[in-house]
Amino acid sequence: MLKGKVALVTGGSRGIGKAIAIKLAQEGASVVVNFFRRREAAQETVQEIEKLGVSAQAIRANVGEPEKIDEMFHTIADSFGRLDILVSNAASGLPRQAMDLDPKGWAWTLDINARALLLLAQRAVKLMDDRAGKIVAISSLGSSIIWPGYAPIGISKATLEAVMRYLAIELAPRDICVNAVSASIVATDSGMFFLKAAQAGQIPALPTPPAGRLVSVEDVANVVAFLCSEAAFMIRGQTIVVDGGMSIAPFNITKQGIGD
Amino acid sequence: MSATEETIKDIIVKIVHCDREVLKPESTFQDMKADSLDMVQVLVALEDEFGIEIPDEDAQKFKNFADFVGYVEAKIAEKK
Repeated sequence: MLKGKVALVTGGSRGIGKAIAIKLAQEGASVVVNFFRRREAAQETVQEIEKLGVSAQAIRANVGEPEKIDEMFHTIADSFGRLDILVSNAASGLPRQAMDLDPKGWAWTLDINARALLLLAQRAVKLMDDRAGKIVAISSLGSSIIWPGYAPIGISKATLEAVMRYLAIELAPRDICVNAVSASIVATDSGMFFLKAAQAGQIPALPTPPAGRLVSVEDVANVVAFLCSEAAFMIRGQTIVVDGGMSIAPFNITKQGIGD
Repeated sequence: MSATEETIKDIIVKIVHCDREVLKPESTFQDMKADSLDMVQVLVALEDEFGIEIPDEDAQKFKNFADFVGYVEAKIAEKK
């Protein structure tokens, strides 16, 4: 489905980003695996992708720094000469209440989680030429639902979604589709951090999604792959929620259903 | 005390806002009252300053200030 395409996945060394990188490779795309802190993990992801018969390259860059983003795009241009898919997934943040968020933490989180989409898209579009490119941002339910201690990331994700909508409309006439995928707690290192905090009673308990299990990284990757397909051509500027129903039913439901 | 150690102290004091006197070889990040964001920013600043790379896999093994200095000095020597 994505044969011959080139995709960039930021934060692609582990967790959701890794699953997306592998899914896009399974669909036939060559993948640039951007990473920041985990070189070994990124190289493992690259090896897994190469086993699928497509090319892959790990590129180190903190997407919070514009110069590092520029350097990364120079490398992509040199290596692949084009880009068809941008998945802005890299994220960072501290578990903090809004009242404890200082300017340094604000700048760090917003730069990496929200401004990066803007800067990445500005550069990616140049490599997309007139082909119908795809841009997908990874958000989280914390953009609109309050999770204790999630303020820095939640605020940045709300900003990310707004950036995504503006890009979607500005780029719509050029046949570039821009959307976001938003997940509830996903079974990754970061997700487990919040789950463990909940189990330890440090934050309120989180309900199991009505669908009966946690959202997996593959659940998110599947929707990203769909948004990167031509089947999703008329979806623009939307945030697709992957949460097993949790956001509209934020309480525990038994196997039998509600009220048992 | 090496010039490298002094530079590392400058960077930590600037980012973590701790007293320079807190930075003894046996000082931990808890002693410096540094959080995980401080930790990452210190690592990034050290990488930029010395032109080296400190992967998380390595940084997670640092127990105290002496480990920082030892690691950075080894990386610089490796580069030469």
